[in-house]
Amino acid sequence: MATADVSVTDNRDTTTSSGYKSRKYILGVIVAALALVPVLQWQTTNNLNFWLNLLIIIFLWITMSTSWNIIGGYAGYISLGHNVFAAIGGYLAAMLLLRLDIPVFVTAPFAGLVAMVVGFVIGLITLRVRGPAFIISTIALVLVLRTIIDNWDFLGGVRGLTLPLIGLDVQLVKIPFYYAMLLVALLSIYFSYWIRHSKFGLGLRAISQDEIKAETAGIPTKMYKVLAYAASAFFIGVAGALWSQYVTFVDPGTYLIILFGARPVLMTLLGGKGTVAGPVVGAALVILATEFSESQFGGTELNVIGVGVVMIIVLLFFPDGLVGSLRRAGRLPALLDWD
Amino acid sequence: MIADLPQIIVTGLALGGLYALMASGLTLIFGVMRIVNLAHPAFIFISAYITWKLFTDLSIDPLVALAVTMPVMFVFGMIVYKLFFAREADNPRYIEITVLTTFALALIIEGVLGFIFKGTVRSTNPPYSQQAFFIGDIFLSRAQLYAGLIGIGLIAFLWVILQYTRIGYAIRATTQNRSAAQVVGVNVERTSMIAFGLGVAMAGAAGSLFSFVFTFFPGGHWEWLAILLALIVLGGMGSLPGAVIGAYLLTIASVFVNDQIGFKWGPMTFFLALFIVLMVRPQGLFGSKIEAT
Repeated sequence: MATADVSVTDNRDTTTSSGYKSRKYILGVIVAALALVPVLQWQTTNNLNFWLNLLIIIFLWITMSTSWNIIGGYAGYISLGHNVFAAIGGYLAAMLLLRLDIPVFVTAPFAGLVAMVVGFVIGLITLRVRGPAFIISTIALVLVLRTIIDNWDFLGGVRGLTLPLIGLDVQLVKIPFYYAMLLVALLSIYFSYWIRHSKFGLGLRAISQDEIKAETAGIPTKMYKVLAYAASAFFIGVAGALWSQYVTFVDPGTYLIILFGARPVLMTLLGGKGTVAGPVVGAALVILATEFSESQFGGTELNVIGVGVVMIIVLLFFPDGLVGSLRRAGRLPALLDWD
Repeated sequence: MIADLPQIIVTGLALGGLYALMASGLTLIFGVMRIVNLAHPAFIFISAYITWKLFTDLSIDPLVALAVTMPVMFVFGMIVYKLFFAREADNPRYIEITVLTTFALALIIEGVLGFIFKGTVRSTNPPYSQQAFFIGDIFLSRAQLYAGLIGIGLIAFLWVILQYTRIGYAIRATTQNRSAAQVVGVNVERTSMIAFGLGVAMAGAAGSLFSFVFTFFPGGHWEWLAILLALIVLGGMGSLPGAVIGAYLLTIASVFVNDQIGFKWGPMTFFLALFIVLMVRPQGLFGSKIEAT
């Protein structure tokens, strides 16, 4: 791949250069390879569940951070509480499975829609403030929902809900989740790409630069922000629903903790806020590092420390993230330039 | 049911002083530097753990430990400011960067505390933590009374520093208008550092008192974050009297909810108040509106 062909600026006409031509094929090959990974599961006697699990986790977090990036990156409204949408999706799918016996693969898109509608309503309320007030309100939201669910026996309270396994052989059980999560991750990336290149996305980026000027220029800032907030909730709701049955439980202690809400923020910052590729790169890196440190050193405390330390280093030294910093230096490979 | 009212008010007033002390540093730091210090409760927890260590290993009374935690946390605060915030002063993304930095700091502190002290729920139990006064049939915990009185005393002390000392003038000038303060010769850089240190010292004092009034474990600081934010948002961010009044109002309200609706819904008072005040009146009772930049 010709790494010499790089775009130095925001020039949109670079798609003709060779690095950008081959980019499409390379990305296609990567996606095809990912789609074929489970096939090896049938072919070999080796158990690939470890790798499938790792990839499913990476797809989950790619979905989380890519979706977060729509409101947090493009529009510049930092939310520390997007896990509420994962919780809404997870609990909704869990209840539908337990009460009505509808599989999560059917209810997941519906869970996404509900998360989006809830996001729209919450956005109408919370996006009237900005800056620190908005950030604080997103934390308050998590704690309000946490207190409600902790004390609501209908939803299992603190202990949460336990879901049945899907009735598949251990060799195959991860495969439907693998494809579902891969699909969700790809759709969320495409959605993010589409927004980035639409008039809507342009408006959002104007809002993040200077909201008052954006308003003066005729952008319906209020509606744009609320729509971006709702849009960012959709795939998180879908992923939350799939995740609930994948791990066979939902409880407030995993879905509604601050660390869950912090992760997409960290991933997006690390990869590059406001870029399409950034959250994908960030999510993959953070998950690989986390899994590595957990297998080597164990312990969640080190994990928490790691998240904090990486976040501070990125904030202080690379506030544009990997993709942003590389682009600024003119060294971003065409393969990762999806903007 | 309202027969409990005198009891609710007495408990609320006693606890309110401690809540106000915990919030005072947070509001000071926001006022001077526009930093929403999400690590403030984590700072309080550091001090609570130091106090716990001194108490269990050396049998030092938490009220005496105050004399250790305050200066230690004052220095710690100034170092944190120098390391992470001093260089960001002119960053156009100042608000975002500082909020996320304090968030990351809170995570690091949580992890380090968990690593050293494990996840066990702790508290110190000096003799007075188990004792109480009775005024008629009204019950008043000695621990809460001591914490509340010392809390208010320290806030009064902070108030005197702000009103009558040279550094106090500088801090207030910086709060009102940073660039104008610079023009008239205030060293805003140094003033900010000292103000940050003072705010964290208040967290240090609060942590020592906290250790015998409440229980704590490394991850427990997030809940307190929302509680403290509720107090200062209601009072008006940056306003010290606002933080005190917000603390008393919401503490009494939460004790009322504890008593009338159920213990587990008490914290909800703060979370909902935070949410509603932010949406309805972001400037709070006394503050100036929180701006984006």
